[in-house]
Amino acid sequence: MIGRIGRWIEDRAHLSDLWRSQMVEYKVPKNLTFPYAFGIMALVAFAIQVISGIFLTMYYQPDVNRAFDSVNYTIMKEVPFMWLIRQVHAAGANFFLAVVYLHIFTGIYYNAYKKPRELTWIVGWLIYFVLLTTALTGYLLPWGQLSYWGMVVTAEIPTSIDSAPIIGELKIGETISLWMKGGYEIGQITLGRFFGLHIWLLPLILLVLVSLHLYLVRAAGISNPEGVEIDKKKEGVPFHPYITLKEGAYVMGYLAVFFFFVFFHMSHFLPADNYDPADPFKTPAHIAPEWYLLAYYTIFRSIPDKFLGFVAFNLVLLLLLLLPFLDFSPIRSARKRPLFLVMFIVLVISSMALTVLGTMPPTPTNAMLGLLFTAGLFSFFLALPIISLVEWGWYKARGGSQT
Amino acid sequence: MIKTVFFTGITLAFFYILWFNNFFAHRERYEMPAQYVKIAEDVKSYAKEGKQLFEQNCQACHSVRYDAVYISSVQANPKLKTLQEKYGKVLPRDVYEAVFYEDLNALKESFGKVPPDLSTIYLVKGKEYLFNFTLEPQKVLPGTSMPAVMTGRPEETAKIVAYLKSVAEPPPEEKSKRVLMGVGTIAYLVVMGVLIWLWRSRVLKRMGLH
Ligand code: HEC
Repeated sequence: MIGRIGRWIEDRAHLSDLWRSQMVEYKVPKNLTFPYAFGIMALVAFAIQVISGIFLTMYYQPDVNRAFDSVNYTIMKEVPFMWLIRQVHAAGANFFLAVVYLHIFTGIYYNAYKKPRELTWIVGWLIYFVLLTTALTGYLLPWGQLSYWGMVVTAEIPTSIDSAPIIGELKIGETISLWMKGGYEIGQITLGRFFGLHIWLLPLILLVLVSLHLYLVRAAGISNPEGVEIDKKKEGVPFHPYITLKEGAYVMGYLAVFFFFVFFHMSHFLPADNYDPADPFKTPAHIAPEWYLLAYYTIFRSIPDKFLGFVAFNLVLLLLLLLPFLDFSPIRSARKRPLFLVMFIVLVISSMALTVLGTMPPTPTNAMLGLLFTAGLFSFFLALPIISLVEWGWYKARGGSQT
Repeated sequence: MIKTVFFTGITLAFFYILWFNNFFAHRERYEMPAQYVKIAEDVKSYAKEGKQLFEQNCQACHSVRYDAVYISSVQANPKLKTLQEKYGKVLPRDVYEAVFYEDLNALKESFGKVPPDLSTIYLVKGKEYLFNFTLEPQKVLPGTSMPAVMTGRPEETAKIVAYLKSVAEPPPEEKSKRVLMGVGTIAYLVVMGVLIWLWRSRVLKRMGLH
């Protein structure tokens, strides 16, 4: 019976043809390394967020008087298994961002942003940016002390534009800040619009962008750790079963680690201070953004001038977007580029150090260290055109060969 | 090889600091004698007694809404029952605060603020803080308007902490169920991963792709 239904559908939809052409005849390099699996892990993380998020909307109430109780009583204590869904969603957000960061750094390491993949990189950057906004809006929803005061601090950041010389007069920053909050303070209007953005608009945008990203990955083919483009007819291995099973096994490992956190180590993803209901009259002792924003935050607060700080951390985002054009070397992949490898290590260490510094109190020493690593971060981007020029020289001297 | 070790190591160290043990971040620590820790953690034996002690010593000022424990004057008000029939035992906060505005406001006038609801306080502060604060509020939070009601009664204080723990955390049986679920889920995923890997080796051998 089931077989007959299957055949009936098959005769009409030709799904096995689709499978064969898209999964089996699609050839990829044989030497893909472990970090290439971060892409599929990010996709899995996205699916987990969507599914768990839909369940959460069934009980969550976007109302300043009830949001906290709907999360901490209805979801965490009253409805069976909703505690699990919430823990999955909260840990899932952190894992999603962690995996996306690892995916970005992998892309940088293997120079996967180079021709013909610039557009894939740009769409990926948009995903990253929208993802940060999604995380930020979601963080307000439980309406705890950290949710509330984290947003108070975040909504203040754009006002630093107003301390600039001439453009400050226009009060652009204040306008942005008001627009974020929907008024002069964070209240029902803020919660309502953040809820709408978090559950509808931003996920839909993400869905479109992720589809586009996947299409572009397909269109350009997967890059290669050695930095060479393979002849896909002769050298590649079939995507299924070669890669599907390999990365399928990795995904199981990823999920095992993920569920370890979900069941046994939620103290970082559901921090203690956020079990305290939001209170506009009580400022908590430590307010800092979530870890995935801390590097930007440290750059912002280490630079003594507010406007310059604002410009600096936005410049990092911009430089990241422009990466494919800053690095115009004909040679690809850090495996083939010793100078690039050195600067990549500078980038990794600087961004990690900036993140960790963000968790520390803003003492003068920490501000100095912050400046030092900010310089490290920028030196990566600024070194790229120079390295590219040098490598063009080597490339020509070798008569146009990669190695 | 050396690069793989380096990048893996630095990434793991980074997430260890962020997600497990940030030895750079500042944390307040409070002392609590071991015999009282034992009492505060033993929800099964002491939560019930703790609740009675809470009713005697704290309920005049504090509610524990998630356990349907409201401040004494509200608890004595016949309106409470009617409202609970309509909204359930745990009243929505806005309803509670609007209907019993007078009672809450009377507390606010005496103490400068409405004493906080203690439903989730255990998760926020932890047992050491609660124990020390309740025993000697002025020592932990100088200038606080909370009176010292438990002076010289550390054992009873620990029992109240056990009660607050029982409200904030899932009950012990539920907790062990969750542990079992977690172990089961993780074991399933690991086994599946290994099976996929083994199956892949066989498929690849057959295809001559090894
Ligand atoms: C006479 C009224 C009163 C009684 C009785 C009382 N409290 Fe309080 N409590 C307060 C007030 C007022 C505050 C707010 C103090 C502040 O924020 O400075 C408070 C605050 C607290 C806090 C929060 C401390 C913090 O750091 O935010 C805890 C925990 C607490 N009380 C526990 C208890 C316990 C346990 C009992 C019973 C042993 C109790 N209280 C009895 C009035 C009272």
